[in-house]
Amino acid sequence: MRIPGFGILKGLRQTGRNYWAPKVTLQYPESRPTMPDRWRGRLDLIYDPFGEHKCEVCFQCAQVCPVEAIDMSGFDSEGRRIRYGMPEIYDERRDPNAFRRAGLAAEPMRNAARWDEAIDKPWLHGLIDGFGGRSEALVAIFSAVQERYGYLPERALHQVSDEMTIHWAQVFGAAGLGGFRLLPAEGHLVTVCDCAACRFAGGDELLTALSAELGIAPGDATDDGAWSLETSSEVAAGAIAPAIRIDTMVYGPLTVAQARHLIDERKRGDARASSPTRAVAGARKS
Amino acid sequence: MDLGALLLGVGRFLLSTTLILLLTVPTAFVVIQMELKIIAGSQLRYGPNRIGPWGMFQSTIHGFKVLAKEDHIPDQADRATFTLAPWMVYMAAAMSMLVIPFAPGAIAADFNIGIVYFFAVLGLSVVGLLIAGWASYNKYSLLGGLRSAAQMVSYEIPLTLSVVGAVVLAGTLNFRELIEWQRAHGWMLLWQPVGLGIFYIASLAEINRTPFDMVEADSELVAGPFTEYSGMRFGFFFFAEYLALFIMSGVMISLFFGGWLAPWPFPAELGGFLGTVYGVFWFFIKTYIFVAVAVLLRATLVRVRVDQLMGAAWKVLLPLAMINLLVTAAAVVVFNL
Repeated sequence: MRIPGFGILKGLRQTGRNYWAPKVTLQYPESRPTMPDRWRGRLDLIYDPFGEHKCEVCFQCAQVCPVEAIDMSGFDSEGRRIRYGMPEIYDERRDPNAFRRAGLAAEPMRNAARWDEAIDKPWLHGLIDGFGGRSEALVAIFSAVQERYGYLPERALHQVSDEMTIHWAQVFGAAGLGGFRLLPAEGHLVTVCDCAACRFAGGDELLTALSAELGIAPGDATDDGAWSLETSSEVAAGAIAPAIRIDTMVYGPLTVAQARHLIDERKRGDARASSPTRAVAGARKS
Repeated sequence: MDLGALLLGVGRFLLSTTLILLLTVPTAFVVIQMELKIIAGSQLRYGPNRIGPWGMFQSTIHGFKVLAKEDHIPDQADRATFTLAPWMVYMAAAMSMLVIPFAPGAIAADFNIGIVYFFAVLGLSVVGLLIAGWASYNKYSLLGGLRSAAQMVSYEIPLTLSVVGAVVLAGTLNFRELIEWQRAHGWMLLWQPVGLGIFYIASLAEINRTPFDMVEADSELVAGPFTEYSGMRFGFFFFAEYLALFIMSGVMISLFFGGWLAPWPFPAELGGFLGTVYGVFWFFIKTYIFVAVAVLLRATLVRVRVDQLMGAAWKVLLPLAMINLLVTAAAVVVFNL
């Protein structure tokens, strides 16, 4: 039976009880909250001694932010104005340069399908079981996954998050901490400058030599995807002609021998650092 | 009448009015402080706790802050009435306090039509609000003033009618005699429960408390008729509002809860000054209990709609009050109470 005014009494009882209940307010300066381990406080840009932003608008932070919360504008290390605004935000993030600066593969969208790659679920389940599902084993599990797939597929991360009951943001954050690839490896991008100054200083010979060394024509990639070669007129200013750029690093002036040496160095480095990865990736391609 | 008695009367009047006026501001501070603390508590907050011990001077500081604020009068406003309005609202509250029976011997003006005087003077605050709305030269203020006039005038009728039953029973319009009657016959609460209910609801509406605070609906309207007011002029409206809460609670306990009487029989031997202190003690205890309940209601209830407000006044409370009065009068005649 509905008694008129009974609801008001119930409400009064609730508010009255609340008056005596423990309070939720934190008396800030006197008592401070214990923050989660990953709490970083208020983000601020660091300034160099000359009062300039140290931020070089490299988009690394925006790149690894799991929820795409970071956005910026300013001048990058080459003095170029990085615009910002609604459409541009995502353009800048998807820009190949942004990916390269973030240590990711040069053009991930070229291989977009692999991002959504199907994974061996029972195998991953067994792997997690093997570690007892302990969150300390996250890095070890990531290593095993990367060893098998060459990177950390998103579906694997999701499965890890689900089975280990770790928040997705934490799993993603841990995966972004370093040493792991979040996108399939696409190898190195070699850009040879074809501006007038570089060609005059021997850029053409450099291009021919590198093309022969890698076995691909400008604009192509090797079959295993480890190397891409292209030309651009904006690699460097004329002072270091002839110049090439490998991924993010600009080299010059170079002789043909020096350029070969740089390439060999990368090849040896890759073989040393990730030979299983490379082998698996190559095997999957063939 | 000889000169001595006249001078005594004048002196007594001056003293009591001065005391009442001096009482108004601290009372408003206490009520505001209760509002701050109780609402905070029921929202799981601490509320003000920095100024003074347990934050008890927060409302006082607010009051003095208001004094320091800029007092702005709009260019087109009617200066005379604009300045008159807050004074009028405040004086209506302060003057109605004159007849409130704090204790035996502690009534500023103990005269035979106290109840009539009380409701008449309290009604003056409507005029003040209407003037405030009109003088501001702001259509929103004017609308706010009209709204408040509509609300307060229509609730004054059930409010006054609900008391008439008690008056008929006790056969007096004097607060002191009404309380003496309650000492003999038990609290009016037992005789007039319907009257009490109507009085409580109507008094909340009359003093613009939640759930009937459409006049100054903080979150929806700017400030109703006070929109253009600032500084201490606004402060007067504000104080009057909280003072009205205290006054209404005081009148309600005088009419229905035995006023200064203790819940158990009043010690007959307590007379003179000691009796006054004892009465004041119980008066304030009871009054502040009802102030606290009204504040808790504000923390609990949502605002009703304007049409519900008007409908409740004219379709429910007024007929109920009429029936209550009729039944009471019939009972008085039949049982010769």
